[in-house]
Amino acid sequence: MTFRTRLLLIFAVAVAAAVGMVELIVSNRAREAFESMEARRVNAIVAQFHKEFERKGKEIVGTVQGIAESATAGEIAISPDPGQYSSEAGTLATNRLDLLELVAGDGAIVSSAQWPARFGYKEEWLLSEPDWQSRPAFLKSEELPDAVTLALVAVRTVAVGDMKLYVAGGRVLDSEFIASLVAPEGMRVLLYRNLAPAFSPADLIDANGPTGSAALLRPLVEQVEKQGRDGLLTIGRGASAETFHALPLKGRENDVLGVLLIGNSRHDLVELEASMLWTAVIVAVIGILMAIVVGWWATARITRPVQRLAESAGRVAAGNWGATVEVASKDEIGQLARAFNRMTHELVEQRDRLVQAERVAAWRELARRLAHELKNPLFPLQITVENMQRARDRYPEQFDEVFREGTSTLLAELSNLKQIIGRFSDFAKMPAPEMQPVNLNDLVTDTMRLFEAQLAKAGIRASAQLDAALRPVRADPEQMTRVLRNLVLNAVDAMPEGGTLTVRTVALGAGVRLEVSDTGQGLTPEECERLFTPYYTTKTHGTGLGLAIVQSVVSDHKGRISVESEKGKGTTFRIDLV
Amino acid sequence: MRSRWFVEAKSVVSEVRQRTLARPLPHGRGSVGARVSQRFSRICLALALMLAVAAAAATRPRYGGTLRVEMRESQPSPEVFGVPKGFVLTSWEAGRRAVFAADENAPGGRPFLDAVEIQMARSLRDQSVDLELGKTDIVELSPTELRRQMAGRRVWSSSPVRLMALVFGPRIADARVREALALAVDRSAIHSVLLQKQGEISGALLPQWITGYAFVFAAGADVAKAQALVAGLSPADRTFSLAVEDPANRGIADRIQLNARDAHLTVSVVPSTLNADARLVEMRIAFADAPHALASVAAAFGLNEPPNARNPEEQYAAERAMLDGFRVIPLFHLPDVYGAGPRVQGGPVITPLGEWRFDSLWVEERP
Repeated sequence: MTFRTRLLLIFAVAVAAAVGMVELIVSNRAREAFESMEARRVNAIVAQFHKEFERKGKEIVGTVQGIAESATAGEIAISPDPGQYSSEAGTLATNRLDLLELVAGDGAIVSSAQWPARFGYKEEWLLSEPDWQSRPAFLKSEELPDAVTLALVAVRTVAVGDMKLYVAGGRVLDSEFIASLVAPEGMRVLLYRNLAPAFSPADLIDANGPTGSAALLRPLVEQVEKQGRDGLLTIGRGASAETFHALPLKGRENDVLGVLLIGNSRHDLVELEASMLWTAVIVAVIGILMAIVVGWWATARITRPVQRLAESAGRVAAGNWGATVEVASKDEIGQLARAFNRMTHELVEQRDRLVQAERVAAWRELARRLAHELKNPLFPLQITVENMQRARDRYPEQFDEVFREGTSTLLAELSNLKQIIGRFSDFAKMPAPEMQPVNLNDLVTDTMRLFEAQLAKAGIRASAQLDAALRPVRADPEQMTRVLRNLVLNAVDAMPEGGTLTVRTVALGAGVRLEVSDTGQGLTPEECERLFTPYYTTKTHGTGLGLAIVQSVVSDHKGRISVESEKGKGTTFRIDLV
Repeated sequence: MRSRWFVEAKSVVSEVRQRTLARPLPHGRGSVGARVSQRFSRICLALALMLAVAAAAATRPRYGGTLRVEMRESQPSPEVFGVPKGFVLTSWEAGRRAVFAADENAPGGRPFLDAVEIQMARSLRDQSVDLELGKTDIVELSPTELRRQMAGRRVWSSSPVRLMALVFGPRIADARVREALALAVDRSAIHSVLLQKQGEISGALLPQWITGYAFVFAAGADVAKAQALVAGLSPADRTFSLAVEDPANRGIADRIQLNARDAHLTVSVVPSTLNADARLVEMRIAFADAPHALASVAAAFGLNEPPNARNPEEQYAAERAMLDGFRVIPLFHLPDVYGAGPRVQGGPVITPLGEWRFDSLWVEERP
């Protein structure tokens, strides 16, 4: 991944993270605000319910009071035969009350609107309250012929002399009652009438009758019934989620007769959150796109100098030490470019100085070698000439003989000098290889045959391990033969006490390998490093140009030469050609 | 006032007829013919009488007219319905309407009424409304209607000639259930409140006034005993349906249902159209003699025909045998109660046995 791509990615991630964080914070704030608003709405609906409850209670009390004060009630109260009024409650309750019972002083029902057949049955609970006149309406579980219902009931008494009549009337808390509670948009009111011993789904009603959410709300209802305290539960998921606040509705004896459930749909919140999420996504996408565009431009400004620096560094690595970077800014990148330019400048200067120094050193080395190489034959020449001069002066009779020997020696040494000069000349004038398909196995076989006598004389056993699958490679056969001879001679020099010379060819996937191994004394790592340096030699004789020539030839063939050696075990030269 | 004046005028005319008129007047016409046999004084008297009678004729009601009667029952044939004394059947719509015309040759003389038109299958409520609106003249009255005051309304009631009873079908095989219901029903409360003390509480099939021993049959409630009887039964065995043949008796059925619940019986009240396990029925006892009456009850309820009793003891034993097993639970003996609107004159409208007596009635019609 490029630096630019990485920067772009960082920009995009940063923008997305920032948008996500903003969305998270806004969502949390929105949720808090929504929940606060929901709490206020719930409180409002609870207050409204209580107010409505109170209003209905007062309305019922007023109606019951009116019935109690009616002439009919007085007539029934004093009637010695109340049985004739068995249908009176129904008449009195018409259009005003859902429930009405006229109960005699002894608790026996005179007339019941909700259950006409119950005349004569006792309503003992009416007798337990000493003063009904001051009591407000209360919740009561009321038994009907075919069911039990929850009602808001008020009781008033009619007293005429010793005669007494209880008037107990009320309204059923049903869907109609719930419908009278105007809930804000998104809220709904449910009523559970605690009429059965166990939870009964049919007793959970809303403004339209039994609700379908009964099973989901059962735990909440049962909790409120059990604890007698408010409860809270969220049902459903996503946009259909609804939070229910449950309030216990208690009767005259503080028993939980019903549970009021106020449901608040989380649809708006979920929609708001979804809207915010989508907004955040859109903003994030736009932000990321903008980040990419701006980042592309910005990173281009940042990375272009860096890229140029990298290219320049690459050129430096490739050998062009004079590569520089154009400096266009004064920022850190500009400073870096300037530092790079200084560095390359220094490198070039150092390289020049080094080259100069190496050149001087090479000349010195060459001079030393030349002096050394020339000094050796020159000394016999000087001695021979001096002997010849001395013999002519002192021993003229022996001069001829001395002259003969001397000239012979002189010629031999001059030949030696010529050979030395020829080698230096060869190294200086390395010709370009003339490439042609060469079978290295044949080349090795021919070379080894030339050295058979020499190797035998030196007590060296020759071994040629040739790969039959070796393919011909393009090479200059003369130069490669020279390479192989140099390596063989090097191996022979390395084994003065004899040993084994192994020449091996190996077919590689995309080329061939030629190995020449000896079992000589081996080389130190330092020696290995300097082995291919011209004029470097570990031998007492030689010019130090042999391996330098080998390396030069291999390099001209686009090949690679390496050396592997272990002190005391021998050395292997390895040449890979393509 | 007008009615009294009319009766007085009628007596005067009768006296004149006896004294001075040679030929009888056509019934209901009221014309006067005079024959002067004296001189001036008599002429004056005759003139005075003529003036008085003319004045009376101008204002008095006329005999005749059509009496409109409504009833709950729906009779399938005239034979079952019976023809009122002094009338002949002129029109019959089975189960709906019957019209009887005055028999000009009736043995006791022609009735005052020209015709009687009977509308059948009218509910008690509809009958009351029709009477209130003047659409009919004579209706049956429910106990609650009895209590209601209505201007000009007259009420006649018969002896307790109708038996109200619970009749079990074959599905309720366990006699304990039937007995439990018999013990659970609070007849007294129903009699006092729903029947407004009309008729008699009874545990017997035949009323006290026919047999004289009806009081011997227990009619009291014993809820504890009823509960004990069905304590070992499964809820399914303690559950049955009760059909009400007459919607007017729905209140009584509801009360029975409530009483049954106290005895741990589950009773559902259903319309008579459904095939119920038990029925709340009413039947008219058409005979005043016990053997015939008991036989008619047995036939009506599908019980075995009782043996022909030669004395009250055998009669009692036969009735007791019919009640064993509680297939039929007598509740009440009720009278027929009729109310007549202000147009109806004369009476009574029924005999103690509940038979129509239209021959002594007439309707007051304004000219």
